[in-house]
Amino acid sequence: MDGQNTWRVAGVELASRFLLGSAGYPSPRVLMESIHAARPAVVTVGLKRAFAGGADNGFVDAIHQAALAVGARLLPNTAGCRTAREAVQLAHMARELYGTDWIKLEVVGDDYTLQPDPSELLDAARTLVADGFVVWPYCTDDLVGCRRLLDAGCPVLMPWGAPIGSGQGLLNPWALRTLRERLPDATLIVDAGIGAPSHAALALEMGYDAVLLNSAVAHAGDPVAMAEAFRLAVLAGRVAWKAGAMARQDFAVPSTPTGNYALGPRIS
Amino acid sequence: MPPTWHPMHLMHRWKWSDMATVGIAGAGLLGRLIAWHLGHSDYEVHVFDAASGPHPAYDGRGAAAFSSAGMLSPLAELDRADPVVVTLGWRSIQLWEKITALLPVDNELSGVFAKGCFVRRASLLLAHRGDTSATHRLLSRSLLVSSDWPAPEVLDAKTLSALEPVLQWTGHAWRLDGEAQIQPAVTMRLLYADAHPTVCWHWNAPIEHVEPGCLRETTGRSRSFDVVFDVRGLGARTIENSTESNIDVGQLRGVRGETVWLHASGHGLTRPVRLLHPRHSVYLVPHSADRLFVGASEIETEDRSGVSVRSAMELMGAAYSVMPALAEARIDRLDRNLRPAFPDNAPRIIVESGLIRINGLFRHGWMLAPALVESALVRAKLPTFSRLDIPPVSPVTEASHG
Repeated sequence: MDGQNTWRVAGVELASRFLLGSAGYPSPRVLMESIHAARPAVVTVGLKRAFAGGADNGFVDAIHQAALAVGARLLPNTAGCRTAREAVQLAHMARELYGTDWIKLEVVGDDYTLQPDPSELLDAARTLVADGFVVWPYCTDDLVGCRRLLDAGCPVLMPWGAPIGSGQGLLNPWALRTLRERLPDATLIVDAGIGAPSHAALALEMGYDAVLLNSAVAHAGDPVAMAEAFRLAVLAGRVAWKAGAMARQDFAVPSTPTGNYALGPRIS
Repeated sequence: MPPTWHPMHLMHRWKWSDMATVGIAGAGLLGRLIAWHLGHSDYEVHVFDAASGPHPAYDGRGAAAFSSAGMLSPLAELDRADPVVVTLGWRSIQLWEKITALLPVDNELSGVFAKGCFVRRASLLLAHRGDTSATHRLLSRSLLVSSDWPAPEVLDAKTLSALEPVLQWTGHAWRLDGEAQIQPAVTMRLLYADAHPTVCWHWNAPIEHVEPGCLRETTGRSRSFDVVFDVRGLGARTIENSTESNIDVGQLRGVRGETVWLHASGHGLTRPVRLLHPRHSVYLVPHSADRLFVGASEIETEDRSGVSVRSAMELMGAAYSVMPALAEARIDRLDRNLRPAFPDNAPRIIVESGLIRINGLFRHGWMLAPALVESALVRAKLPTFSRLDIPPVSPVTEASHG
């Protein structure tokens, strides 16, 4: 079963299709326990506010250690950046401090929806790829924009399911399906908007390679239990995708034959 | 600089040698409260602190209690805090009411604090119509805790307007009965000023080592006592871990909090207001007839530099959205400090023979301090708050170790 679950990004094999964010947990201890329960491939960490004044308090290192303990990699992100310049600067600081070329690229263009700014995002992606980064761009589900990011050299695409933290699930399944169909060779990850394990399972059932979520675990009544629930849902969704779901149809078909249909319905 | 001794020493005739002696590392809220209590319980108390004096500098260092709102809001804290914190919070409200009744009158108190530095008045919880996540989480958690505590009461716009006419709010609102607030700066000053003359304050005297019955200053000077308290903030992590108690002081971390102090003559707000928001927690608290406190960011860094533009804008924007009359308020102070916290954000009480540690109160200093002190005193078999005419409770163990 685990063999079906591995995948690769930039030549690195990842054992889980669950990517977990590290913000907004009730305490660092709950976060660490959630990471342990989730067993994610990647743990993202926002650095902008922590870097702004220096004076690290050990929080990021603790996340890093918890990630390593379950075989996960740290994925610094540029959350909070509004321009390509800011994001590029932060990515370089993250690489210097944490020794990783991987960067989750977030460049927000609207404060209310936290929607990515497609222009700044593409500019930043091009620069960072040229600088040797493995760029994981948080983007919308716009097909053309996604193509441009792939052309820029991003090895994965991370279209939103819904606005960050909204928990609304996959708001535009058609657009997500279109991306999957039109970009069959791309590594696609639904990032943001997932609120329940069923949302994550659906993304995997649609053929997405992984999901990245944060608030759905961090803001759950019991984050650790919810992390476990998401781990199982992601696994179930992936196995279901591999198994191939039956096609929908508009009429009922009894799963158990109840009579001799060759002779017509039984009349009692 | 030499240790600072309380001038009242010379005016009294106690025989120091006849009294049990207590050394306290830390003159923040816990240190002052313990000194105040044990001094009035016939103990000779010595308090040591790195600060240069009893008054706040608002420079990002020193006692975090000075930088606090002083909200005693167990229900509202259920959003993220463990239910045991709520238990301790309710107990602290009972204790603060009694403790502050014994403190002298202070002329600086005004507005909601006109009658004293403690006031018990239901606080308000607000949420935007679209922000259902935090609201749902808080309310569902409030149902998990004891039915002995009041449940949040839903308010319609008319009732809210009658309660607090200065608020202009069309979103969700709840009234949290039983909550209270305390005036931090005045209470800190009064706990110091009203301490018994047997309490000696040693300023510019950071402690570098704590062990049972002994405190050692950074100058190398060791002082012996019958019992010592370590109630420092982040300073506590400079000591080596205790093998006896397995305390994890090394895991203490600082969590940055930024606040805005506003001057708004006749603002009219009469109770703490907390705005639930998915991206940040904002509360608006009256501190006097013309001063309001807006807090607070919560950032995982030990950066003590000035308040960021983003935090200031978020805090003031949220306050202004709730109370438009603040448009012409003046910014008195932009403050920041670090909250000492353990990895689970819960406090620790460690009681050994001759040594008591209370550390890691995170952002709940005022809400937890007296309940934690009471719990530690009971365990250490030291005098409890009996003179408050309030029966002690069993030590709380769920949020502490040792």
